[in-house]
Amino acid sequence: MKEIDELKFPEDVYYSKDHEWARKEGDLVTVGISDYAQDQLGDIVFVELPEKGSKLKQGEEFGSVESVKAVSELFMPVAGEVVDINGGLEDSPELVNNEPYDGGWMLKVKPAGADPFGKLMDRGAYLAMLKG
Amino acid sequence: MHPAFLLDLPLTPYGEALDLQRAAVAARKEGRLACDLIILIEHPPVFTLGRRGGRENLLVSESELNARGIEVIPVERGGDITYHGPGQLVAYPLVDLNRGDFRVVAFVEALEQAMVRTAARWGVAAAGDAANRGAWVQGRKLGSVGITVRRGVSFHGLALNVTTDLTPFTWINPCGIQSCRMTTLAAEAQQQIDMAAVRTEMAGQIGTLLRLDLQPVSLEHIRAALETNRQTENAQ
Repeated sequence: MKEIDELKFPEDVYYSKDHEWARKEGDLVTVGISDYAQDQLGDIVFVELPEKGSKLKQGEEFGSVESVKAVSELFMPVAGEVVDINGGLEDSPELVNNEPYDGGWMLKVKPAGADPFGKLMDRGAYLAMLKG
Repeated sequence: MHPAFLLDLPLTPYGEALDLQRAAVAARKEGRLACDLIILIEHPPVFTLGRRGGRENLLVSESELNARGIEVIPVERGGDITYHGPGQLVAYPLVDLNRGDFRVVAFVEALEQAMVRTAARWGVAAAGDAANRGAWVQGRKLGSVGITVRRGVSFHGLALNVTTDLTPFTWINPCGIQSCRMTTLAAEAQQQIDMAAVRTEMAGQIGTLLRLDLQPVSLEHIRAALETNRQTENAQ
């Protein structure tokens, strides 16, 4: 288990209290799980993602990750329509462990509403939550 | 040590226990259930499938099972197909992992160890396995583990074969492993074993390993707590 200070928390994403992240990329929002979340789970062996076209609310379940014998459910950090999913995770779920903010991305979402990041935390607030 | 409820239940239909687990997990997350909850229980014969399925590892037809009154229930836990039946001690630890006491992987290991240490009490040398999680005695599977984490709260758990009739395990590839041989504590210890004593030992081991101070509680108490809160919600 890594110490919080050893984990990576980029400045260019917003974080949810359920440990998902969301990053603005043009008109879309990319979604994944944080370095803290992947470190808690251990080696991820399977990632379950929604169908493209799914319209999901903020906080709604969008899939799950399975480490050995443990399923952890995933929740939408932003509301919107899923326009793309990371198909590479089917064969390489370990990307979520190795590159949680890059190759391990999960969804691209067309956000609903004007301020999709309103209820999320920036790096500082998320770190403060983790350190309790 | 954190205070936690210990609910010791007799033979209970799987679906009924699943409803209770799901309601209690929601209540725990929302703070309506004041502390963690460990459920010890046995189930009438039932097969359950993991989140990823496992129906392909069922080796008999579902109509055959239906004729025997055995259901196949898909659930949200990790792992593949498994069997529960009388004589198998099942433990469901509903623990708030948000406290940060355990990584998920360490929590699964602790559940393995609870079975290993319980078996040791009857002189059986079992061990965990990081690749094929469970409690194993020289390649024979004594107990299984499979959990779900929902918003940081764990549920589902472990199943230790104490005096289980193992016949139904021959109708599946347990946990998706072909030619997986199952065993029981009674068979390995070569003695009669009192389930009540195993329940007591298991509760003690879970308390130690998960660092919980267990307080026995009745089902009526838990149901009343969940029900009262639901009425409060409906009134709002």
